[in-house]
Amino acid sequence: MKVLVVEDEKGLAESITDYMSKEGYLCETASTFREADERIYLYDYDCVIVDLTLPDGNGFQLIETLKKLLTTTGVIIISARNALEDKIRGLEIGSDDYLTKPFHLSELNARVKSLIRRRNFGGHTEIRFREIVVNPSARKVYVNGQLTVLSRKEYDLLLYFLSNIDVVLTKVSIAEHLWGDNIDSADSLDMVYSHIKNLRRKLLEKGGSDYLRSVYGIGYKFGES
Amino acid sequence: MKLLTKTNQIYLAFSLVVYLFAGLAFYQVVRFLIYKEVESRLRVERLDFESYIKTHKSWSDTTYFVENKIDVDPVGARAQQPETFSDTLIQNRYDSERMPFRQLTFYTPIQGKLHRVAIRKSLIQSYQLIEVITVTMAACLGVLLLGTFWFQGKLSGRLWHPFYETLSRIKRFNLASTTPLQLDKPEINEFRELNEVLRKMGDKMQQDYRSLKEFTENASHEIQTPLALINAKVEQLIQSEKLTETQTRWIEDIYQASRRMARLNQGLLLLAKIENQQFTNNQTVDLAGLLTEKLEDMEEVLNHKQLLVDVKNEKPFEVQLPVPLAESLVTNLVNNAIKHNHPEGRVELRSDGEQLWLGNTGSPLTTDPERLFERFKKEGASPDSVGLGLAIIREICENYGLQVRYEEQNGWHRFCISRKAEEVG
Repeated sequence: MKVLVVEDEKGLAESITDYMSKEGYLCETASTFREADERIYLYDYDCVIVDLTLPDGNGFQLIETLKKLLTTTGVIIISARNALEDKIRGLEIGSDDYLTKPFHLSELNARVKSLIRRRNFGGHTEIRFREIVVNPSARKVYVNGQLTVLSRKEYDLLLYFLSNIDVVLTKVSIAEHLWGDNIDSADSLDMVYSHIKNLRRKLLEKGGSDYLRSVYGIGYKFGES
Repeated sequence: MKLLTKTNQIYLAFSLVVYLFAGLAFYQVVRFLIYKEVESRLRVERLDFESYIKTHKSWSDTTYFVENKIDVDPVGARAQQPETFSDTLIQNRYDSERMPFRQLTFYTPIQGKLHRVAIRKSLIQSYQLIEVITVTMAACLGVLLLGTFWFQGKLSGRLWHPFYETLSRIKRFNLASTTPLQLDKPEINEFRELNEVLRKMGDKMQQDYRSLKEFTENASHEIQTPLALINAKVEQLIQSEKLTETQTRWIEDIYQASRRMARLNQGLLLLAKIENQQFTNNQTVDLAGLLTEKLEDMEEVLNHKQLLVDVKNEKPFEVQLPVPLAESLVTNLVNNAIKHNHPEGRVELRSDGEQLWLGNTGSPLTTDPERLFERFKKEGASPDSVGLGLAIIREICENYGLQVRYEEQNGWHRFCISRKAEEVG
């Protein structure tokens, strides 16, 4: 899986690259429009993460070029502008997702994964982690082969964890993933806790191992260790 | 007072004074000229008289039959006196009218005896001349005055027309609008320069106003990227296994602060955008319906806080709003109703088509209700709240023909949205 990160803020590009590399992606960065333009001509990428405002050009232009060259490349826009027009324009010219800065790396990662899944298998693929199998197209979860009924939020939560295995997810990022940006954080953090509690209980009931761990009180981690 | 009235007044006063002086001066000049003429003629007559005396050696009144023309009186021996001119009034021979005369008095010896000779010339014609001239002149000057007055009025009206045109355009000029100040190019240099200067000033003012407005927006945009960076780095940092509890707490604080700043920033950005009227796609939206939906969406939170929701929408409350703003309005209203509620409280929604109420139970206000809608006014010291929610609500309402009111009654806090008076009907 090759991912190109087009972001002029070096530190941010570096963080994204680090995070994605741990997930097993082959990451490359471009900090200018020209560099990015050159790279998309030279190489094929599975996914391109594009910042709209580049010092020497516009991200939209890049996406248009990209879509002319290779239509299967997934495109995620990351932008400081939270404008509806930008989102619509992005979708119109063929981008798949739009994230407003500041975003959570885990959220970006989940979006990239979901995008690649949809691209490669038309959504008909199962996500497996040990005894847990998730069928995203049917929104069904099986633990040890047994159907486990989860609420909508619990399902979203599980999928978010499965997209970010062995990564500490902050409570805030979980809350924002589940309810969007507008949620009032004081209440949502409590609700995150109760959802996690329920999810863990439901997974354990079907004989799954306990993969959920609270980390430092700042967040949660889903993984074997 | 209008400029033209003022100039006319000054002009009138000045003209009157000038005409008065001119009239007096004219009168004096004419009088002087006439006297000079009369006196020179009298001198000639004296010469005539003296030559007559020289040839005839005597004087006879008969030579002059014009009345009062000459008086010759013998006087006692006196020292030679110089000739003098004087004005005198003399009774007419036929009627009792007194006539003005100019008289030249001199002393001359006739037949060895000194005589005083007074030669006179009637001034009546000269006076009539002066009168006629004065009247004619007064009439002419009056007509001229009125004429110039009228002409001046017309001319000023025309000359100053560009000025008044400019003035009315400036009055109509709106700083916040995007249309620049449009002024004519009159042929008069001063007005053209004035318009030029005003146009430049207008452009500059609009530009400054725009950049000031844009500043907030740009600043907010620029802040997003560093915030994203902080967020990303913190997220990476917490992946580290070797953190002590204290360090984690610090990181958590940094993280919370950066999230709060991001929210604050987004709020300010939204406010700036509403103020800049960057949302244009007005659509008919039913706020009552949207609020109901939002309350349903928030069911989880409501359940979590054990809040009871009571919706009574008799009629939809339809308004013209851009969809993102309607969304923001509704979210902020609902969040507010939930945030300031106490556990096991209640939320109620009412709409009668004209007004829309969203009420919630909660502890009494500690801040001034008047200032509730101000930016950064927070009720309670909640660290999560950035204090922009109500400011956003008000800004949206004010920009789209709505008004929002807050009232507190029996432990209920209600926000009432209604259409502004002129929008009704």
